[in-house]
Amino acid sequence: MSENDLRVGVFVCECGSNIAGSLDCEAVAEYAKTLPNVACSIVNKYTCAEPGQQEIKKYIKEHNLNRVVVASCSPLMHEPTFRNCVEEAGLNPYLLEMANIREHCSWAHLNDWDGATAKAKDIVKVSVARVRLLEEQIESKVPMTKEVLVIGGGVAGIQSALDLADAGYKVNLVEKEASIGGLMATLDKTYPTMDCSI
Amino acid sequence: MMDVGRHPNINLYTYSEVIEVNGYIGNFNVKVRKKARFVDETVCNACGECEKVCPVAVADEFQQGFSSRKAIYMPFPQAVPSVYILNNDDCLGHNPIACGKCADVCEQECIDFDMKDEIIEINVGAVIVATGMDVYDPTEMDEYGYTKHENVITSMEFERLISAGGPTEGHLIRPTDREVPKKIAFIQCVGSRSHSTTGNPYCSNICCMNTIKDSLLIKDHHPETEISVFYIDIRAFGKGFEDLYIRSKNAGVQYIRGLPGEVFEDPKTKNLTLIVEDTVANTVKDYNFDMVVLSVGVIPRRDGGAIQKLLTLSRTEDGFFMESHPKLKPVDAPTGGVFFAGCAEFPKDVKDSVTQASAAVARAEVLLNSDMISIEAITSECFTDLCTSCGICINVCPFNAIRGSDAKTGTPAEVIEALCKGCGTCAAECNFDALSMKHFEDAQIITMIDAMLDENPMDKVTVFACNWCSYAGADLAGLSRLQYPTSQRIIRTMCSGRVDSAFVLHAFEKGAPIVLVSGCHFADCHYIDANRWTQKRVEKLWDKLERLGIRPERLQMEWISAAEGQKWARTMTEIDEMRKNVTKEEVEHTKKVLKEDREKAEAKRAKKQSKKIAPKTNSPGAEISVPA
Amino acid sequence: MTEIVDFKCLRCGHEFTGPYDKKMPIERSCPKCNSNSVRKIKKPIKK
Repeated sequence: MSENDLRVGVFVCECGSNIAGSLDCEAVAEYAKTLPNVACSIVNKYTCAEPGQQEIKKYIKEHNLNRVVVASCSPLMHEPTFRNCVEEAGLNPYLLEMANIREHCSWAHLNDWDGATAKAKDIVKVSVARVRLLEEQIESKVPMTKEVLVIGGGVAGIQSALDLADAGYKVNLVEKEASIGGLMATLDKTYPTMDCSI
Repeated sequence: MMDVGRHPNINLYTYSEVIEVNGYIGNFNVKVRKKARFVDETVCNACGECEKVCPVAVADEFQQGFSSRKAIYMPFPQAVPSVYILNNDDCLGHNPIACGKCADVCEQECIDFDMKDEIIEINVGAVIVATGMDVYDPTEMDEYGYTKHENVITSMEFERLISAGGPTEGHLIRPTDREVPKKIAFIQCVGSRSHSTTGNPYCSNICCMNTIKDSLLIKDHHPETEISVFYIDIRAFGKGFEDLYIRSKNAGVQYIRGLPGEVFEDPKTKNLTLIVEDTVANTVKDYNFDMVVLSVGVIPRRDGGAIQKLLTLSRTEDGFFMESHPKLKPVDAPTGGVFFAGCAEFPKDVKDSVTQASAAVARAEVLLNSDMISIEAITSECFTDLCTSCGICINVCPFNAIRGSDAKTGTPAEVIEALCKGCGTCAAECNFDALSMKHFEDAQIITMIDAMLDENPMDKVTVFACNWCSYAGADLAGLSRLQYPTSQRIIRTMCSGRVDSAFVLHAFEKGAPIVLVSGCHFADCHYIDANRWTQKRVEKLWDKLERLGIRPERLQMEWISAAEGQKWARTMTEIDEMRKNVTKEEVEHTKKVLKEDREKAEAKRAKKQSKKIAPKTNSPGAEISVPA
Repeated sequence: MTEIVDFKCLRCGHEFTGPYDKKMPIERSCPKCNSNSVRKIKKPIKK
């Protein structure tokens, strides 16, 4: 894909007043329009909510977007949400980039409207630069061997082996000593029930 | 226990050790050494005739050495499998066969002196590590006189003395005169919660309740016994635990807050005197007892290092295995497809061990239920044409996910995708850009630095943050509404190990006044020890900056956990102050010298490259000819 | 091999001594300001 074919959509989230209360979301979205390859840039009240996600999907289709920047909260919070969202709209989930303008910006600079707005613009600028170079990634699959190794035949190993075996899986239980039982077997009674350990 | 022995789905390998693990999640190949027990498990019917004729008597480990066993023996009456074992080291008749009495009487003919260790190979999709714990040895705590005074015993030894299956058949006696002790002391926290040179700093979790249980057992057997428990705190936090504690108190057990400074023995009576500062009554008193029980703590298995290596696990400072996430993935190991159960992860009682075992099974079943499993898309890849087979990547990979890269054979590096966790340390360390980290490629990060610094670079602090800890720490700072200057600009990588020296130098060359590299604390690194390489790299960069006349202070390094929002905000405030002290001239100088340094290095590399491509006339390989 | 070396904090400038192991890097922090920007100071070459 040549650089000219890149079409980036920027979605700035107000997060109610969590972001919009400390910085100028409209200004950030307007600024984003001036960045290279940005095809559209809009503001949502809650991008993560169903209407917000529908909007992303609608814009991906209408504007033929092939890269998405969501300027909202931390990716540790909503990256999986938005990855699913763009995937449902037919984009590879790795072509999404999140610009964290909430945890790292609006919340950290509650009383600095101009500073926070300038910083948010910068964060979006960096994210747009990055998203332009992102590539599709495929999660590959490997077969699963339906057999388990349990190392240690104490109470934890015994319980694990029995549960797995009862669930129908083949279990290999390896114990260093000549008998299973572990330390528990040397105890007389065990609390809180005060019953025999074996 | 019996159920394990007869379950059709369980292959039980006792007296065996895992010696090799290859492969990855879903496809582990495991080698198990089944040590020779010199008794054929499939034939032995546990008749016990062999034991009767064996002339050897040695201390019985199961009974804590209070009684003896033979060289051929049953580990304990309820052992599973219920077969005898011949201890090679104790046996007289092994090599050369001098005794052989047991073999003579064995009707099943199952004793085989020539039995050899066997190597068994198995393929599994998941591994549960339930390697358990060891018990603290109080020998080093000289003040309690464990080695000097016979009537000072450990709680493990006490278990055997009170057990119906023990050497005294459950009659509680003290070691010196075999009399029933009338006054017994328990000393808590032996080897636990210690901040001195002996013992461990952590709470062993089970010893308080174990002592409460023991006190009730004694009161059951001999209600008139006077029992005193010396403690720091009694931790009876579980379901039904407080009830037992109250029951013990109501039964007349004395709980005295304060640990003894020393234990003295009366040489005649062998009775023991404890000098204790009672921190509730504020008195120092002598107490006399017939027997003292040391409530010993739990320690990580002494042989835990072997399993750690085999499965590329990591251990916390305490020595217990490190889970993938302390709150959200408490039974997952950082290695895919490996799970923890029981005390291998941390000291816990029977109930918690069983709970964790079932949790580990549930986590394993999530994998086992699927026919195919997806693996991490963000992995590194090798461009073999650029690889010089130097082997650095193999050295730095925490997961042994890279093979090849052998200078002798000239094999280029190969990334095993299923093993790669995506920390990117290899990509950062590779001097030839042969390794690239998907989704965090050099170009993708360089473009971020460019975008960040092409306007007003003097106002900005370039911060590299790792996904798991420092980035999350910054999130927490925001979540807690901690306020700090607006100068910080973050570039997220999965691990600080990904932060290539070139990124830092590029930022400085673009005019960055200050760069911060941040990551997890060493104990928290999500890629075992990848951030050790970050530190080494930053150290080298400091040297380089200084060599070039750049103040090393302009490159900062900080380990910030996901819980340290405060530290994040404080660091950002401090570093912003440092930023203000960087002058325009200084930055211009830095830009200039770094540009020169880079161009010099590039020229050198280009020259080297052209040499390499030039045809070799006298290569040693050409002289070796194969005779026709 | 662990040796005792001099360190300098690149945050606050505090100088102190502590253990250092080339093979087994350990986490270091400045005892004064708690920063991890702690640099091992090369011993001045004695003449």
